[in-house]
Amino acid sequence: MAATTAVSPPALPWLRSARPLMMLGLGVVVLVAPWLGLGDYWSRQFILIAILALVVSGLNISLGYAGELALGQVALYAVGAYVTGYLAVSHGVTDILLCLLAAIGGAIVVGFVSGIPGLRLGGWSLAMVTFFLVIIIPNVLDLLSSQTGGALGLSGIPVPTIFGAQLVGDGFYVFVIAVTIIWFAIFRNLIGSSHGDAFLVLKQSPILAATLGISVYRLKLLAYVVGAIPAGIAGVLFAFLSAYISPSSFAFALAFTILTASVVGGSQSIYGAIFGAAILQLGPERIASFQNYSLIVYGAFLVVAGLVFSDGIAGLVRSGLSQARRRGWLSSAAPIDTVGPMAESDVALATAGDDTAAVIGDLAGEALTVTELRKDFGGLTAVDDVTLEAVPGEVTALIGPNGSGKTTLLNLVCGFYKPTSGSVRLGPVELGGLAPYRSARAGVARTFQTPLIPKGMRARAFVATGRYVSHRVSMPASILRLPSFWRGSRASDAEALRLLALLGIARVADSEVASLPLGTRRLVEVARALAAEPKVFLFDEVGSGLDEEDIHRLEEAIELIRRAGGTVVLVEHNFPLVLKIADRIHVLSQGALIASGTPAEIQANRRVLEEYTGSSETVDTIEELERSDAVPGPPPAEPR
Amino acid sequence: MTTLWSGLADGALYALVGVGYNIVLLASGVFNFANAQLIMLGTYLAYFAAVTLKLPLAPTVLIGAAAVALVGVVEERLAIRPLMGRRDSHATLITSVGVAVAIDGIVLRIWGSQPKAIPAPLSTKPLNLLGGTIEPTSLLLIVLVIVVGVGLHILSKKTMIGLGSLASAEDREAAMARGVNVRALAIGAFALAGLIAGAFGVVVGSGTYANPGLGDNLALFGFVAIAIGGSGSQIGSLIGGFATGIIYAEVSRYTNADWPQIVVFALFLLILLTRPRGLFGGAVERQV
Repeated sequence: MAATTAVSPPALPWLRSARPLMMLGLGVVVLVAPWLGLGDYWSRQFILIAILALVVSGLNISLGYAGELALGQVALYAVGAYVTGYLAVSHGVTDILLCLLAAIGGAIVVGFVSGIPGLRLGGWSLAMVTFFLVIIIPNVLDLLSSQTGGALGLSGIPVPTIFGAQLVGDGFYVFVIAVTIIWFAIFRNLIGSSHGDAFLVLKQSPILAATLGISVYRLKLLAYVVGAIPAGIAGVLFAFLSAYISPSSFAFALAFTILTASVVGGSQSIYGAIFGAAILQLGPERIASFQNYSLIVYGAFLVVAGLVFSDGIAGLVRSGLSQARRRGWLSSAAPIDTVGPMAESDVALATAGDDTAAVIGDLAGEALTVTELRKDFGGLTAVDDVTLEAVPGEVTALIGPNGSGKTTLLNLVCGFYKPTSGSVRLGPVELGGLAPYRSARAGVARTFQTPLIPKGMRARAFVATGRYVSHRVSMPASILRLPSFWRGSRASDAEALRLLALLGIARVADSEVASLPLGTRRLVEVARALAAEPKVFLFDEVGSGLDEEDIHRLEEAIELIRRAGGTVVLVEHNFPLVLKIADRIHVLSQGALIASGTPAEIQANRRVLEEYTGSSETVDTIEELERSDAVPGPPPAEPR
Repeated sequence: MTTLWSGLADGALYALVGVGYNIVLLASGVFNFANAQLIMLGTYLAYFAAVTLKLPLAPTVLIGAAAVALVGVVEERLAIRPLMGRRDSHATLITSVGVAVAIDGIVLRIWGSQPKAIPAPLSTKPLNLLGGTIEPTSLLLIVLVIVVGVGLHILSKKTMIGLGSLASAEDREAAMARGVNVRALAIGAFALAGLIAGAFGVVVGSGTYANPGLGDNLALFGFVAIAIGGSGSQIGSLIGGFATGIIYAEVSRYTNADWPQIVVFALFLLILLTRPRGLFGGAVERQV
């Protein structure tokens, strides 16, 4: 099934499955409204709402889903309108489908031209580049005044045709509504696919996105450019609707209207764009004094919405539904944590016993070789010529006190830092200096000390994001719901469930990950790492903050990976845990490697003990060490 | 040379906006989109004090500085602080745009869409300087902006307050743990940015008039200034602002009125493509 992005818990299944049909039904009613007695005034209003909704939906993709503020929807809208005006007036092209095609092409080109530089830096630069794009509209139109009419505008845009027939009156109305319905179906299918989940990851944690092998820059660019398409479409519809276009139709104030509509409806929603557009279209029409105060109202609204209900009307509806369900006003599905169909696989796992190695399948682990790796930050050497190797089928642990360079080393492997010198190789591939997403694609998977988990994502969808790059389903296939989409998403979902079951947490498959306890979140992260089928697993402080039972589960999970032939690197504070599960231990102190060896060798190493206990007396048992360990660990485990 | 002087005078405005962006950026890692609107508000308050109330220069400047500083503080308190420490980083984008839009709306509501002239604080007789002419007030603007920019640069590099603010922008939590009063710094930065914006109301407004479109325009060119100079660098922002002003003026001189904006836009794209951190880039807005 498609990984949904809805924040609401998976209750009200009838609503979930019925929603597309409901929206489609609503769309059809609006489509045939002229025959149900819709007057001219309202049909024009509906067309204007549809046009605004198209523009707003484009902003929702970039702002709501990819997390990048773009103020230039107006410019892309203008491109659509002027491409149409130019084709129609100068070349007599009235075929609306041809105009749509040309306008979409134009909007995509302008999208790339502004998006490529605008997204380089993140933060405000896209907003400002696109803001600038709107400001220079009059200048560009003036320079091209023989084609665009300059400041005077372009009048006499003829009536559009479709397959040679004129589109007027109700015909044009039906066309506009149909195009809008088709676009929103595309939008919904895109968001309801693995790409929608990738957008969410991107917005909330660029670091996690890179860890999944997603190029943050490219995916943001893609989202922004896809968002340009409906704005271009809206421009075509507007040009034919009003038959006259001028720079004043594309003033900067419209950018604020669009932003406000997006935020009012809920930027991170699909149909919210329609609500927002309706309110901003009808509000000023119905309330006479609105004009005078519109900017103040928009501004106040943006502040309030940014602070309080960042999910807009769509968010209010969502939380209203879950309130109603909680109070028993609406029928609700079985609570998620009780026995459901998932329990079977749980049982299967429990009985699988020693066969788990077969269940996980063979992991094609590769050796991770770090050679004379060095990282300087200014005058500080965080990693000092470290050489070590982690081989498949073994657990390699990296220990050391705080600030000894463990996590820096991990970040060098993942590409978050560039080495000052030395090399990091995964099998034959040199990783040093690769961008994080390239390291991930080369086969590095990691978990984080504080699990990075986007809000509003369920476990099965989150685990499936591990496969976003390795088992990619193309965007067109997702939008058109081609068989490859269904195959891909079914396989990803099945794999996610299988991995969750393997780790013994199948019951949380439908829970929102961010709300799970820490230990379970760690396990979900491990499942996500497994889903990517990586060549090396990096676990950062995987045991910290966990109770005994959670640690035990993690140990089992790591053991599972080891037996399947995976390469495991463990960065860990918890000395007893490391002694128990590691095959080889490397000890770092102040950036340098001070000892390497088997757990028994490390345990007997004076230098290590000095670092750890401040005394050079050897300890014979882990219990003794435990007492002197500065870091609180779990109760002592049995020595291996 | 006259073109150069007028470029420098325009550039001083852009640099001033850039400096204001940087004050807040350096202290709290937030980009305050509404900073240019604060400057616009300063020009309207100058109009109100000097023309409507017929006050002399000193009280006009003081009223502007105090009132806009207060607006800055209110903005920080209402629209920015509640979002600090939250994870979705784009919320301050929305709220500071909201503040900017609201200020635009309030100004339009009170003073209407017609620009308002503000009497120049100095003589309007052009000076002949280095082979060009420039109005004394414009020269004053250029000098004051340089003084403020350089002064803030020294302040941020040499004093405890400056260093504390750098630390707090870099890592809010770590700075808090070190005993830096992060909140006071953030509110102080907004107040200072507002103070400067308000105090410049007369000097800016006598050239540009108090004009409702001023905010959006300055926001954009101020951003270009820090894109060129590198966000976080006050000296960079001065250089970026003056460079933008000069390029604009030179292009206007040889072409029709449409080209300068387009040329600056192209330059902006080029900088983002080739030197995304700016020419003198230091601190960068928090990314995660």
